[in-house]
Amino acid sequence: MKVLEINHCNKKFGDNEVLKDISLSVSEGQVVSVIGPSGSGKSTLLRCATLLETMDGGDLVYLGEYAAKADAEGKAVYSDKESLKNIKKNFGLVFQNFNLFPHYSVMRNITEPPILIGKRPKDEVYREARVLLEKMGLSDKEDAYPFQLSGGQQQRVSIARALAMKPKILFFDEPTSALDPELTGEILKVIKDLAAEHMTMVIVTHEMAFARDVSNHIIFMDGGVIIEEGAPQDVINSPQQERTKAFLGRFQQ
Amino acid sequence: MKKYLALFLTMAMSVTMLAGCGGGEQPAQDNVETPADSAERTTFTIGFDAEYPPYGYRTDAGDYEGFDIDLAQEVCNRRGWELIKQPIDWNTKDMELNSGSIDCIWNGFTMTGREDSYTFSEPYVDNSIVFVVLADSDIQTAADLAGKVVVTQADSSALSALESEDNAELTASFATLEQIADYNSAFMNLEAGVDDAIAVDIGVAQYQLQSRGDKFRMLEEPLSTEQYAIGFKQGNTELRDQVQETLDEMLADGTFDEIVANYTDYNLDQMVCLGK
Amino acid sequence: MIGIDFSQVWGILGQLGEGMGASVMIFALTLLFSMPLGLLVAFGRMSKWAPLHFLEKEETKQPVSLGGRIKAAVLGFKPIQFIVKIFIAILRGTPLMLQLIVVFYGPYYLFGMQLPRSYRFIAVLIGFSVNYAAYFAEIYRSGIESIPVGQYEAAAVLGYSKSQTFRRIIFPQMAKRIVPPVTNEVITLVKDTSLAFVLTYEEMFTIAKQIAAKEASILPLFVAGVFYFIFNFVVAFVMERIEKAMNYYR
Repeated sequence: MKVLEINHCNKKFGDNEVLKDISLSVSEGQVVSVIGPSGSGKSTLLRCATLLETMDGGDLVYLGEYAAKADAEGKAVYSDKESLKNIKKNFGLVFQNFNLFPHYSVMRNITEPPILIGKRPKDEVYREARVLLEKMGLSDKEDAYPFQLSGGQQQRVSIARALAMKPKILFFDEPTSALDPELTGEILKVIKDLAAEHMTMVIVTHEMAFARDVSNHIIFMDGGVIIEEGAPQDVINSPQQERTKAFLGRFQQ
Repeated sequence: MKKYLALFLTMAMSVTMLAGCGGGEQPAQDNVETPADSAERTTFTIGFDAEYPPYGYRTDAGDYEGFDIDLAQEVCNRRGWELIKQPIDWNTKDMELNSGSIDCIWNGFTMTGREDSYTFSEPYVDNSIVFVVLADSDIQTAADLAGKVVVTQADSSALSALESEDNAELTASFATLEQIADYNSAFMNLEAGVDDAIAVDIGVAQYQLQSRGDKFRMLEEPLSTEQYAIGFKQGNTELRDQVQETLDEMLADGTFDEIVANYTDYNLDQMVCLGK
Repeated sequence: MIGIDFSQVWGILGQLGEGMGASVMIFALTLLFSMPLGLLVAFGRMSKWAPLHFLEKEETKQPVSLGGRIKAAVLGFKPIQFIVKIFIAILRGTPLMLQLIVVFYGPYYLFGMQLPRSYRFIAVLIGFSVNYAAYFAEIYRSGIESIPVGQYEAAAVLGYSKSQTFRRIIFPQMAKRIVPPVTNEVITLVKDTSLAFVLTYEEMFTIAKQIAAKEASILPLFVAGVFYFIFNFVVAFVMERIEKAMNYYR
C-alpha cells in the first residue's frame, strides 16, 4: 500500500496558480526528494500534504484513508475533523526554522505530544525519548531549553520530536536552509541514518548531492508542475528536460 | 470561529450578570422606598459631605460625627431605624438622592434658593455666608474684594449667593470667582496665596478658624443670610413629615438643645432657629 | 513653620491603614476580574468571523472599482471584531472617572432602578474591571500576535487542537512577553484606585481627604501619597520577581 498518495492537486493563491495538477505517491520505505528553484511550489506541496494549507482540487490519501477527496468537478473535499485528527498521526514534519517550543525543555518538547496527543504511557514515552536523544547525540541536553542549543542541535531535537510520534512518513521542509554551512552535515547524517532504517521520508531540499545520495526517487518541480522525476542517477546525472538541465547547471557551477 | 463566538457570548453574559448583581437586590430596596411600605422602614440613609465639619466629618476612630449626624442619630433612635451614614461627593448629591442611594441630604444643606428642587424640612440653622481672608490681609470689607481672586465650593450655597442678582455687582468686581471641590483645599489655597478670599458658610468658617488658629479672619459684614434644612427627594413628604415630627419632639423635650450644646465652640447655639 | 506633630501622624496612619485595606481590595478584585475578562475581549478583538464571507466570490477578492470595494467591505464585515473595537475605543477614550459615574448612576437614569447601598462597591468594581479589561485586551492581543506563526504550525502538525495550542503553546509565551506592559498597567491601577472617591467609596484617598478636612491640614494627603508609593513599591517588586521567574527561557 502507498503511504502517501496525491492525485491531481491544484492550489491557487488568489490568481496565482501555485500547484497545477500534481500527482505523486510514496511507498513504504521510500525516500523522495523534491528539488526545484524557489517559487516552484515545492514547499506549498509539502504544506498541502501536511494539512497546513488546503488544496483547491485533488485527492490527498494516507495509507488508503482520504484526507481530501476530489468531487465530480475535481474540487477537494476534506474529511471531517475527527478523521483528519487520526490521519495526522501518520505523518511528521521537520521545519526549516525548527519551531521548537521555546518554553519547554528539550525533554518536554519531545515527550508532551505523545503523552498529550498520543495518549501513551508517560514512562514508556520518556524511555523512548531518551533513546531518540541518544541517537541524535543529545543525551546531555535533556533539561536544556532550545535557546541554549545551536541551530544544528535544535534541528536534531525537532527531528526527535517528530519521530517520538512514531509517524509512518516524515516530511522535511528544507531542514538545513536555516543552518550555518558547517552545521548542515550533522543534520544530513541524521537523515541518512533514518534512511538506512527504511524510514519513509519526503525531503524538500537544495542539497543536490545529498538528495542524490539519500533518496531513491527525485522529483524536480518548476512553475507549479512536476517537470521530471525518476531515479536519482537519471534525474541528477542525465536530466532529459531543458529546465532540469538549466537548474542543475546553475548548481554545478 | 465558533469558539471565539462562544467566548464572546460568555463575556457578554458575565458582564450582564455583574450588572445584574446591582439590580438583583433592588426589589428589597423598593420595599424601603415606596411610601406604602414605609411603616416597615428599617434603615435611614443620610447623605453628607464628610469634608464639612462641624456638620459632618470623620473622627480619629474612623467613624462619622458632627452636629447633623448627631441629630440624625437621635431621630433614628426614636424611630427605631438604623442610621446609615453615607458620605457623598457634593457635586453628585442630586444623582445620589434621585437614584435612591440616600434618603436625604442632611449636612448644612441650604434651602434658601433651592425650595423648588427638594422637599425640605423646617429650617433648623440660620447660616450666613461670610468671607474669610488671611489675618494680615488688607481686605477689610466686601468692597475691598474688587480685583481679587475669590474661591468657593462648587455647587454650594455660597456660590449661589454670589451668583444671585442681589450680589451681581459685587461678584462682577472680583478678578475671578473660582470653584473648588472642598473647603479644605480652599483654605490650603488661601494659605498658599493662590486665592485672596473664601466665600463660605459661617459654621464651616468658624470651625476652620478654630482649628487653624489665628492665620485667618472673617470679614465682619456677612454676604447674605440663609437657612439650613434637611433636603428630601422632591415629593417625598411622608418621610419628611416623619423626620420633622421627631425633630419637633426632640425640641420639645430639650434633647435638641442638648445636642446643640456640644457644638457651642462653633457658635451653633447662636445659629439654631428650629422653633424660634 | 512646618511643625509635624507625630502623634497626629500616628492617628492618620491608623485611619489610612483601614482605607488602604479598601484600596487593596479594589486593586486585587479589579485584577482578578479584568485579567480574564481582558482575554475574552482580546479574543473578540481578534475574531475573524464574517457571516457574509461565504457570499464572496473569487472575483471580488481584488476589487478595483469603488462599487467592488464597498461590496468587499460589506462581505468581509466582521461584526464581533467591530463591536469589540468600539467597546475598546470608548473605554480607552473616555475618562475612567466618568465611566465610574456612568456605571453607578446609569441604572437609575437609564432604567429608573433604585440603587441598593451595596451597589456602590459593585459599581466601583465593574467600572475598574471593565476599563482595565479593555487595556489588558490590547496588551494580550499584541502579545498573541507577536508569537511566530511557526509555533501554531508545529502544534497543528503534532495534532494539538486549537484550544490545546492556545493553552499550552501560545498563552505561556504570551504571558512572558506581556509582563512589562502589564506591570505598567498594574502600577497605574494602584494609583487609579483613588478615583473611587467620585463614588465616595471609602478607600484610602477618600478617607485622606476627609481627615484633611477634619484636621484642617494637608498632612493626611502627603501620608496617603507615601502609602501609595509603598504599595507600588511592593507591586513593582512582585512584578520584577514574576519577570525573573519567567526568564528561564528566551
